[in-house]
Amino acid sequence: MDLSRRQLAAVLTGAAAAQAQTPSDPDLEAARQLQRVAAQTIARVPLPMTTEPAVHFKA
Amino acid sequence: MAEIAPDIFFASITELSAKLRAKEFSCVELTRAFCDRLERIGPRYNALALSLREQAVRQARDVDADLKIGRTRGPLHGIPYGAKDLLAVKKEPTTWGAKPYAAQVFDYDAAVIERLNKVGAILIGKLSMIELAGGGDYRTAAASLTGPGLNPWDPTRWSGGSSSGSATSVAAGLTAFAIGSETSGSILTPAAYCGVTGLRPTYGLVSRRGAMALSWTLDKLGPLCRSAEDCALVLHQIAGNDIQDPGSAGRSFNYTPQYARKPEQVTIGYLPVDFEDGAEPSAQAALRAAFEVVKSLGVTLKEIKIPDFPYGAMVGTIIAGEAGSIFEDLIRSGRVDQLADKHQIAGLKAMLDLPAIEYQRAMRVRSLVKQGFRDLFLNCDMVLTPSRLGPAPKAAEPLDTPRPPTKSRESQIPGGNLAGLPALSLPCGLADGLPVAISLLGRPFYENQLVAIGNLFQKQTDWHRRRPPVRA
Repeated sequence: MDLSRRQLAAVLTGAAAAQAQTPSDPDLEAARQLQRVAAQTIARVPLPMTTEPAVHFKA
Repeated sequence: MAEIAPDIFFASITELSAKLRAKEFSCVELTRAFCDRLERIGPRYNALALSLREQAVRQARDVDADLKIGRTRGPLHGIPYGAKDLLAVKKEPTTWGAKPYAAQVFDYDAAVIERLNKVGAILIGKLSMIELAGGGDYRTAAASLTGPGLNPWDPTRWSGGSSSGSATSVAAGLTAFAIGSETSGSILTPAAYCGVTGLRPTYGLVSRRGAMALSWTLDKLGPLCRSAEDCALVLHQIAGNDIQDPGSAGRSFNYTPQYARKPEQVTIGYLPVDFEDGAEPSAQAALRAAFEVVKSLGVTLKEIKIPDFPYGAMVGTIIAGEAGSIFEDLIRSGRVDQLADKHQIAGLKAMLDLPAIEYQRAMRVRSLVKQGFRDLFLNCDMVLTPSRLGPAPKAAEPLDTPRPPTKSRESQIPGGNLAGLPALSLPCGLADGLPVAISLLGRPFYENQLVAIGNLFQKQTDWHRRRPPVRA
């Protein structure tokens, strides 16, 4: 399907608007919030720049 | 045809093996009796995913033929066992406890099944589990294709998860031992709640080839048994290098109690609060008594501090980073909505939004956790903790229902898993008629010494021999 840039923009804007109107799932929001809180908690641990992740690639 | 006495269903591996060799009963008779019991009683506790009676009886005939000519393949030869339904068994359904995978069939056996086959252990059934081993943060005992795992000590209580059926089947005498898996607590918790002995091996000691992956850097397979010694006998067979498991440590495990250090040469670290008033009130007396027994073994006890890190947040983030990738197709296809627990569905979906930077941060802090435990084990050989701070919760209530407040924390489960350490859970008493347990946490590849101390504890106590009130 051939779409001009203007038509594509209209489609994308419409899709975004439709997505915004979709009622959000409160369980999913709660799970995302839990994930954010966990990340913030971990971020409070002082982490030396030289610390590598606990798993290494093995060739 | 020999009568299989009820006590046989609760015999240790060594006892069963001796009776088979003495021809008190044949392996076919023993296998049929265990299959009858598993099929009759297993569904009562939602413990059975799939009976494998036909192939088990076929295998048992081979064992009888071997025994007839005096050929034995070790202590597991002819012993009936069950495997958590996340382990592939050739041409049989492997559901991972989850509806979207209810029809899944593999054309190969998992490495542990292969290894147990080789030594003549008889796989009689696949055992129920929390769907996808609970990686999406489940909140109900009913988060399973087979329904809530019910506890043989009290069916209104949960059996624990995610290796629910593995613990139940051993506790109720439906299998002589079982294989479970642990990403963070899935062997130790059901072992503690059901009053059986559970061994979580060091990360990489047991091959996970053919097992469902939840978290490549946390997943481990291990035995649930009637005693510490039984756990060692099973681990001896299932441990070992596997080039096809990228996490394999390339190590084996030899059960050599004769080479374990004497208790006088062992220092056990502990947090005093855990054995004073740190646990839930109903569990405190049992934990205090267990501590006194450990003290009486002649070991040196030393107060320690567990390294302080946000263990729960770290485990959650690392599982999210890895399980989100493993189950990406399930999540994006929408089939994830077929799962039983809405929190688990939401948790899995949210994993797709985890920034890579957060996963990497958790994995970098994990390096500090490993160092923290390395430092801790400079001061002691192992750590004694409660396995859980209270008995099993009610099966019908949400699992996040507030519990009695405690001064202790259950940090040894996520902490020990993040550091890849082995742990042994030993039943140590009853609280309100439900099992309570202690755990021994050791440095990597220290299983032989954990089992030695566990053995001594079980020689002084009989909690591992207690049986739940299961109707035949």
